This record gives sequence, C-alpha cells and structure tokens, in this order.
Amino acid sequence: MAQSIGANDARSALTTVEYSRQQVIAEIDLPRWYWLGLAAGWFGMGVVTDFGPGWLVISIVPVFGAVHASVAHRVLSGRKRSSQLSVRAELAGTHIPALVIGFLIALVGVTIAIALIVNADGANHPAAIAGAFAAVIVALGGPQLMAAVRRRALRRAGP
Amino acid sequence: MAEPRFDELIHPSTRLSIVALLAAADWVDFGFVRDRLGLSDSALSKQFATLEEAGYVVTERLLVNRRHRVRVRLTGTGRRAFGGHVAALQEIVATADQTVAP
Repeated sequence: MAQSIGANDARSALTTVEYSRQQVIAEIDLPRWYWLGLAAGWFGMGVVTDFGPGWLVISIVPVFGAVHASVAHRVLSGRKRSSQLSVRAELAGTHIPALVIGFLIALVGVTIAIALIVNADGANHPAAIAGAFAAVIVALGGPQLMAAVRRRALRRAGP
Repeated sequence: MAEPRFDELIHPSTRLSIVALLAAADWVDFGFVRDRLGLSDSALSKQFATLEEAGYVVTERLLVNRRHRVRVRLTGTGRRAFGGHVAALQEIVATADQTVAP
C-alpha cells in the first residue's frame, strides 16, 4: 500500500505534517497578561519601597512572591497560552519554567544593581526608578525570551 | 521510531493536517483546528466523525468559563497510526532518493 503514492506525494504530505507541527509550536508561550502583571507588580514593589509605610515595605515581597507562585504553576510550562490547546511536553520541552525563573532571578539582581547605582547618583526614588526599568525589561524581554524558546523548538523538531 | 505503515484513512490532505495538529498537542479546541484549516464547522465535524469512528480521536464536550467547548485529542491508536504513516512517508522518500542517487 505504501507504494501506491509517489515520492513527490510523500514529500508533499510530510510538508503538510511539518506545517501543522509548526502551527502548534507557534502556540508555545506564556499568556500576555502574565508578563504585564509581572511588570506592573515589579514597578509596584519599587514604588512601595520608596513611598510606602514600613509594614508594607516588609510585606510586599513575600506577598508578591506568593501571588506569583499561585499563578505561575498554571502558566509557566508555556504549553497553555490560551484555552485553545495544550502543546505536548516533548515538543515544548520541560525547561521553560526553569528558564523563566532564571530570567526573574537575574532580573532581581539587575533591579538591585540599578537601585544602588541610582541611589549612589543621588536620585530621590531609586527603588521606583529601578522597578520601572525592570518592568520594561519584563514586558519587552519576556515575550522575546519565549520567541527564542519557540525558535529552539522549531530547530529541534526539524524538517 | 514507529514501524512504517501507510494509513489510507489519515493520508487525505485535510485529515493529515488535522491529525498532525492533534499529534503535536495533548488536546486541541475544535475552534483552533477549524480556524487553522479554514474549514466550516460541518466539514470539520464530518472529518472528526470519520476519525472517531476509526478510534483515532476522542471528542469531549466541556463547559469552560460558561461556554461550551469541544476538545479533541488523539487516542493511543491514532497516535500510533500517525507515527506509522509518517514513517511510511519517510520511507517512500528515502527509497526514491536512494534510487536517484548514483
């Protein structure tokens, strides 16, 4: 039966298969609201650190961490950007949560470094400025990070 | 690597696209497949009915955020059939390439 079609038909069918797989790989992502919420939270923490009362400054980081943890476990796999499909784990890879968490840990370091530099320069609100800078990195860099993950998944899937 | 086994039920272009989409996912919403393939609801339902009859897919009707959704997923049988079909296609191409090569 396998010989009932020619090589060109088989190539065409394999192209169809590959195109379908690429359409699913294009869905590997985190929801847009996750990055925007994270950016808003990051900026909010900076503002609270500069302007908030002491009790709020102390509690904002653990509260932010708890809220993030409650949301992240549902979206960090990168396999359910929307309610339209769930990408198979072997296609998306299992490294996305570690990659995103690594990105956020690096961003904590960047935020602290910026705050120290801005503070040394004599600015009035170093935490808010650093928070705003980090928020921009999250909002723009997060989607870029996931685009890199998709490119890698495409290369791994191969033609 | 699956054992090559050409599957006539899967091979027609529309059905191959549907099964390939499903093979890359745990489950897919009916609307996603419809939109990606540009099919009407009735045409897609017909394709799913054929695949379901063969035991290749299962459809689930769910209530998500107060909206009725239809989720479709490939069964183990469907996944094995798809893997075998892709292997058969690759074998055809490989055989042709060997014939052409000096």
